[in-house]
Amino acid sequence: MSSPIGGILPVGIGAVSGVAGATTGVPAAQNADGFASILASSFDALQGTQKTADTLATQAATGDLKDVHDYMIASSEAALATEMVVTIKNKAVEAFNEIMRMPV
Amino acid sequence: MAVFDTLGIAGSSLLVHRKWMDAVSDNMANINTVNPYGDEPFRERLVVAQAVDYGSGEGGVRVARAEFGGDPNGRVVYEPDHPLANEEGYVRYPDIDMGDQMVALMMAQRGYQANLAVVERATSAYQAALQLGKG
Repeated sequence: MSSPIGGILPVGIGAVSGVAGATTGVPAAQNADGFASILASSFDALQGTQKTADTLATQAATGDLKDVHDYMIASSEAALATEMVVTIKNKAVEAFNEIMRMPV
Repeated sequence: MAVFDTLGIAGSSLLVHRKWMDAVSDNMANINTVNPYGDEPFRERLVVAQAVDYGSGEGGVRVARAEFGGDPNGRVVYEPDHPLANEEGYVRYPDIDMGDQMVALMMAQRGYQANLAVVERATSAYQAALQLGKG
């Protein structure tokens, strides 16, 4: 007799491997330091976005800004990227705390 | 950042519509610019937009080039009192139609607004997605 969750397992694994094949970020997570490197690279990307927004803010202040929407888009992109990285970080810390609370 | 591509794509379209508005305002500013009969009149400025192939991983639109429109000879008008008129009393006005320019201005403005709406909606959609991680 098959296990009641036997039918679910292959679907779940298949779906996960399908996702891993489709995206570039997920296979890296399977490495030993996968999550750390993803977090580090998203921090790098965040730094780049914020630098762009900073440059445009300086241009806006000095009157060199050519397009108003450029600065607005860059600043909202920087805000979104920051929010995303902070969310990822919070999740990581949460997972770490969860593991630390595990009774031994 | 590739995650927020929608913002960049909408931004490229904002730039194109801004340049279109620039061209229209140039045309409107020079609609009454009179040139001597022997000179070429002001030519209508047209902006040529080109799609950036989405397969390239970039997407969006850009201004490929600017072109001149209207009749290269302009409108020859009889104004003998004009200081630039020739011996027969003719001067050249640019061949620009104010109605066409107003319509183009409205289209550029509405296109700009539509893309601003895309930026707003995309931002709030991304924010809503990030709320998933707050729980």
